[in-house]
Amino acid sequence: MFPRPIQQYGPAARVTYQTLLPLALLVWLIPLLAVIWFSIKPGEDFTTGNYWGLPTGEAGFQGITNYLTVFTQSAMPQYLWNSVVITLPTMFGAVALSCMTGFALGVYRFKGNLLIFFMFVAGNFVPFQILMVPVRDLTDQMGLYDTRTGLILFHIAFQTGFCTLFMRNFIRALPRPLIEAARVEGVSEFRIFWFVVLPLMKPAIAALCVLIFTFIWNDFFWAVVLTQSPESQPVTAGITAFNGQYRAMYHLMSAGSIVAAIPPVAMFFLMQKHFIAGLTLGAVK
Amino acid sequence: MRSIFKTGALALAATTMLSGAAFADAHGVSGPLRIFSDMSNPAPRAVMEDMVARFEEANPEVEVELVITDREAWKTQIRNVLQSGGADIVNWYAGNRMAPYVEAGLFMDISDLWEEGGLTESLASTQGSMTMDDGIWGVPYTYYQWGVYYREDIFEELGLEAPTTWEEELSNCQAIIDSGRACYTIGTKFLWTAGGWFDYLNMRTNGYDFHMALTAGEVEWTDERVRATFENWAQLIEMGAFIDDHQTYSWQEALPFMVNGEAAAYLMGNFAVAPLREAGLTDDQLGFYQFPQINPDIEPGEDAPTDTFHIAANAENVEAAEAFLLFVTSAENQTLINNGENLGQLPVNANSTVDEDEFLLAGFDMLSNNATGGIAQFFDRDAPAEMAQVAMQGFQQFMVDPSTLDQVLMILEQARSRIY
Repeated sequence: MFPRPIQQYGPAARVTYQTLLPLALLVWLIPLLAVIWFSIKPGEDFTTGNYWGLPTGEAGFQGITNYLTVFTQSAMPQYLWNSVVITLPTMFGAVALSCMTGFALGVYRFKGNLLIFFMFVAGNFVPFQILMVPVRDLTDQMGLYDTRTGLILFHIAFQTGFCTLFMRNFIRALPRPLIEAARVEGVSEFRIFWFVVLPLMKPAIAALCVLIFTFIWNDFFWAVVLTQSPESQPVTAGITAFNGQYRAMYHLMSAGSIVAAIPPVAMFFLMQKHFIAGLTLGAVK
Repeated sequence: MRSIFKTGALALAATTMLSGAAFADAHGVSGPLRIFSDMSNPAPRAVMEDMVARFEEANPEVEVELVITDREAWKTQIRNVLQSGGADIVNWYAGNRMAPYVEAGLFMDISDLWEEGGLTESLASTQGSMTMDDGIWGVPYTYYQWGVYYREDIFEELGLEAPTTWEEELSNCQAIIDSGRACYTIGTKFLWTAGGWFDYLNMRTNGYDFHMALTAGEVEWTDERVRATFENWAQLIEMGAFIDDHQTYSWQEALPFMVNGEAAAYLMGNFAVAPLREAGLTDDQLGFYQFPQINPDIEPGEDAPTDTFHIAANAENVEAAEAFLLFVTSAENQTLINNGENLGQLPVNANSTVDEDEFLLAGFDMLSNNATGGIAQFFDRDAPAEMAQVAMQGFQQFMVDPSTLDQVLMILEQARSRIY
C-alpha cells in the first residue's frame, strides 16, 4: 500500500508529522483567517494601522455591523440573487446538454464520432483569456452584454465541453449489454436514454452538478468581462463595489467575501461525497 | 469675509440661473438624448441617475437614454462610442486627457454655450482646463482639491505655523524631524502619490505653463529646470522628510503613520479626510494648507482632477445636450450633487454653496481665489498614460535613492522621445 500509513513509522517521524501538520495547516489557512478577522473589525482600524490587534475603538468588534452593512447598505442581496439566477440555470443547462451529448457519443458508433468528441474536448484546451475579446464583442452584438442571460448562455456553452468529456467516458464504462437487451426488447432509443441510461448516470449527474455549481459560483473572470451593473453582476464581481473610487473598504470587502464564499463551501460540505466522486470518477478504470 | 462672499454668490447665482434658464427655454428642447456615463461606482451612479430624473422632470419633452459603463472600461470604449455616433453626451476628464478627442474632431466646441450661458463667469476656475486650441470642449461637473493635510496638534506642540515659503517649509520639516517624526507620510507602491509630489514641486519651481509643456512632451526631461525641481525634492528626501519604506505601502496603508503621529502631514487629495476622521482625528487635530511657494515670482498652480461632460461632435440632439450641460453646471445642481450626501467634492460653479466642512471650504476658497497659475489635472491625467507610468516609476526610484537622478532623467527622456 502506498503511501505507508503514518502509524507504521517510528515515533520520531510521527511526532514530527503531528507537529508539522497543524503548522502547515495554519500557514495554509492564514489568508482565510485574515479575511475572517478583518470582517469583524471596525473600518477605522485599517486607518490607524491596527491590522492584527484587538479593535482600539470603544465600540469593539463590528462583526454584526459589518455584515448588516453588507446586506443593507450595498447591493449585496441583489448580487447574491444574480449569482443564484446565473448558477442554477447554467448547472441544469450544462448537465442536461452533456447527458445527451455524452449518450450520443458514448453509445452510437458513427463516422466522425471521435472527431466530434475531440472538438468538445479541444474547447477545454483553449485558454479562456484569448476568448475574452471575441466573446465580449459577440455578446455585445447579440444585445446580451451586461445581462444575466448572456452570462448563462456563455457558461453553458463553455462548460458543456468539459461535461461532455466527463459524461461520455462515464457512459462508455456502463455495461453495454443493458442497452442491447433493451434494444432487443424493441424499446425506442429515447426511452433507452430516459429509462435505462439516465438512472444509471445519477452518481455522475450529482457529481457534475456539484462541480459546475462551484465553478460557476466562483467564476470571476467572465463576470467582470460580460457584466458591469448591479442588475446583472454576480457576487464575485459585486464585491469590488466596496472598492470605492478612491478607497478600499477592507472590512466590508472581507465580510462580503465571506458571505459570497458560504454557498460553495456549504455545497462542498453537504455534498462532499459527490464532490470527491466527481474529481475521481473515471480516474480508475 | 464668508458672508460677503455668500451674498455676492447668491446675487450672482440668481442672475446666472436666470440667464441659464432663458437660454435653455429659448430652444424648447425635446426628443431623445443619449448619455454615456462612466459614473459607475455606487454613489456617483446614484447621483447620475438622480440628475437625469430631475432633468427629465424639468424637460418632459426629452427622453434620456442613459448608459452607464464601468469607469475603467470606459477609458477604452469612449473612442468607439464617439466614432459610431451612438452618443449625444459623454463623460470624460479635463485637461490633456481631452486632446486625442479634440484633435480627432470627436468633441464639439461649445464656446458659444459658455458665452451665452454665462459659464465663463460661473465656471471661471475650470475654464482653463476645458480650453484647448482656442475652443472650449465640455463642462466640468465635479472636482476636488489637493494639498497638504497636517496634524495641527503636532505643529502646535512644536510651535510651528503652516508654511507659506520654501524656507519655512524646510525649517518646519527640520523641527519635525528633530522631534523624532517624519514630516510627510506617503505610500508610493502604486506610484501615483509620487506623481502628486512632482506636480507640486514642478509647478512651484517652474510654474504651471512649464509643467503643462513638460507633461505634453515639449520639454526635455534632462532640462536644467526639471533638474532644479528634483533638487528641491532631494532637499526634503535627504533630510529624511518622508517615512521609510514608502515604496511598500498603498496610499491607504500610509495613513496610519499620520494617525499615530509618526508623520506630521500628507500631500493628498481631499478624499483622505474621510478615513482620517473615521480613525479618530478631530478637526482640531487636522488642518489643511496650500503647498508652499518655492519661487515667489511664480503664480501658484494647483492639482484639481476634474470630471466632465462633453457633447459628441456628431450628436443628433444638440439642443437637448446643451440644455443638459447647463442643467448640470447650474449653481443649484452643483450644490446638490457635490454635497456630503452625494459626491462629497467641490462644486465647479463659483455661485454654489459648499457644505460647512473645514476642508471643502478651504479647498473651494483656494481653487476659486488662489490658483492663479492654473489648474492641473494630476500627473497621470496630464501626461499620456504610457509616459506617466514610466515617469512615476522614475519618481519612486528617485525617492528611494536620490543619487540615481541622472539615470532616472535619462530613462524619462528616452521614454519621451519614444512616446510623443
